[in-house]
Amino acid sequence: MKLFVRSYWLAFGGLLSYLVVGLAAFVSLLAYSSPVEWLGYLQEPYLWRLIRFSFLQALLSAVISIAIAVPVASCLYHRHFWGRRFLLNLFAISMVIPAIIAILGIVMVYGRNGVLSDVADIFGLYGLFGILLAHVFFNMPLAVRLILQVYQMIPDAQWRLASQFSFGRWYAFQIIEWHYIRKALPGAFVLIFMLCFSSFAVVLSLGGGPKSSTLEVAIYQALRFDFDIAKASFLSLLQIIICSSIAWCVYRYSPALAQDISVIEGQKSDLKGGKVSMCIDVAACLLALLLMVPPFLAIFIPVLSSLFWETLHDDALWRALLVSLKIALPSALLSLLIGLSVVVLARASLLSTHYSKWSLRLEQMGNFVLMVPSIVLATGLFLILRKLGIGFDYTFWVVVWVNAVMALPFVIRSIAPVFYQYEKRYHFLYRSLGIKGRHRFVLEWPYTRSALAQGMAYALVLSLGDMGVVALFGSQDLLSLPLYLFQLIGSYRVEQGACVAIVLLLLCLICFYLTNRIVGGKIARI
Amino acid sequence: MLEFNLHYQWDDFKAHYSGSFDKGFTCLLGGSGEGKSTLLYLLGGFLKGEGQLRFDERDVLSFEANERPITTLFQSDNVFPQLSVWDNVAIGVHPSRKLSLDDQKRVTQSLKKVQLDHLSSKFPGELSGGQVQRVSIARALVRKQPILLLDEPFSALDPALRREMLNLVKEVTHEQGLITIMVTHSPDDALFVDGKIVLVENGKLVAQDDAQVLKGNNRNAHFERYLGR
Repeated sequence: MKLFVRSYWLAFGGLLSYLVVGLAAFVSLLAYSSPVEWLGYLQEPYLWRLIRFSFLQALLSAVISIAIAVPVASCLYHRHFWGRRFLLNLFAISMVIPAIIAILGIVMVYGRNGVLSDVADIFGLYGLFGILLAHVFFNMPLAVRLILQVYQMIPDAQWRLASQFSFGRWYAFQIIEWHYIRKALPGAFVLIFMLCFSSFAVVLSLGGGPKSSTLEVAIYQALRFDFDIAKASFLSLLQIIICSSIAWCVYRYSPALAQDISVIEGQKSDLKGGKVSMCIDVAACLLALLLMVPPFLAIFIPVLSSLFWETLHDDALWRALLVSLKIALPSALLSLLIGLSVVVLARASLLSTHYSKWSLRLEQMGNFVLMVPSIVLATGLFLILRKLGIGFDYTFWVVVWVNAVMALPFVIRSIAPVFYQYEKRYHFLYRSLGIKGRHRFVLEWPYTRSALAQGMAYALVLSLGDMGVVALFGSQDLLSLPLYLFQLIGSYRVEQGACVAIVLLLLCLICFYLTNRIVGGKIARI
Repeated sequence: MLEFNLHYQWDDFKAHYSGSFDKGFTCLLGGSGEGKSTLLYLLGGFLKGEGQLRFDERDVLSFEANERPITTLFQSDNVFPQLSVWDNVAIGVHPSRKLSLDDQKRVTQSLKKVQLDHLSSKFPGELSGGQVQRVSIARALVRKQPILLLDEPFSALDPALRREMLNLVKEVTHEQGLITIMVTHSPDDALFVDGKIVLVENGKLVAQDDAQVLKGNNRNAHFERYLGR
């Protein structure tokens, strides 16, 4: 073990900078809690309403997203139609688009003057309906992507058999596809449920008040408006307990997903398609388009107006853009370094006789942040710094660090597979030739740079679009683009907000592209 | 001489290898799952065993894989496709590939020895299967280690090419006075290289002899059973 730590001291440093700081932040928050008051909190009807609503919206969001994603993924896998690539690109963009932009798009489409305002009149945009619309907008594409990954695991021979036995789409779905998809659904459900359970910007903007609030927003309100740290720490603990219990239950009882036979891909055999399957495919894709396209289009409408150019000349916009970049760049770099530390340690234990179980455990450590609200981490960290007497001087770095760790699950997911692949192929050769550390990094760079670039690009875009921590610490000096946009929406300057949203969207796309190109090189996976 | 007395346990599989290897070519024979590769990996330092491993009176068991006086050729993935032939050999001298003039000469000489000096700027993807194997042999030469372990590195080659590679390794073994130990499933290969043979059964070395006994009728019972006669 000593030798292991000595060999990977840099990676251990990176991991500790994440775990120790995170744990210290959480403990410092708990230190402010007063367990004697917990019973009192538990007797508040408002708390139970919060919990019920948090559950309900997360459950419905996850179920609806998956219910739409299953037929859409099946259609995208089996049919190669005109516009298929467009749909896939649209899904990819919607996954990295800042939440506040989608919220604005939804307000412009379903709001009072929107083209689909009649729909919102029936259900009411501000409340459960609006929250579900936004959550499905973000998570249905994520579910499609996860399910499409499952399709890649179905052995080619099964499709050949299906073709040989003249299976139609329905039989193929029942006998082949469902067998694999159902194993992936619990994981997809947990991921989407957690993302929605801890969703902040969407609920804050579209919740419409205490009636449709969630635990996450209540934590923010307790901290920002009441500065009631005891209550915030109690709510945070409650949120962590609920999220981790659900994750544990689902992972404990869900079936394992594994490749059955080899992945060798042969000639893909087409299945018989009838009219019913065609109707289901068309309906599923139209529904996906209807959910995804209007909010995107809506934010581009003001681009031709004079207001757009006036907004571009506004100093406040460029100041906010600079603040966003100042936060996002160090945050992305930090996220990549911590992610790399976690993956390097997980890789080192992957084929080890004694520590192989640590590989998965380390990877899961990166997902801890999905269970801990970002504002909880930020507040804990702020409290530590305040105790040290430097609280307000370092709020910028608190935002940077929290944004970095919030992007960790995405960074790890981007870089781990390629690092593991090289470990499995060359583990013994590396050991035999004594190739390690910097030399190994240089040797693998041509193959890993693309994945590293993608991980960093995700972290950059997530940080650019963050509206959680920055909303907590936001001030005149720390006003990022999403927060500026939120303020514009809040003051009903929706058209001007749309102009800012376009700038933010372009900034995200340019940063995403440039990071992939500069770090990833010519073969970058964009 | 390489002497060993090694214990290794993995789940229900318990192995105890005891013996020694002299200079020259030795083939490890045995059925699938009997523990041939396990012995090779224990010697190479890729598995942690307990006991003793001595080379020229020096205990090398506590050494890391790259610190042992050993070069190993694996079943696959012996070369890096992103590096040129020259770099693939040079990396055997030092991972940085920043070599002194003398070391550069050594790399060139070993490439000449395997007849790849004219392809030194090519990449593995541009070479034939046999040429790729020659690159790894050139790297083994440049490392100048007295022990060479081969874990069926030529099993995927066609018979003619396999014999060509075996000939090359045999030649190098004799020229440089190496202790070469090769895991193989093929008694024909063992006969072809004409060295010693060792039979591995259930994690133990159960018989040792000259390869020529595979041809005659004067074999012990273990070899008879292995050959299915």
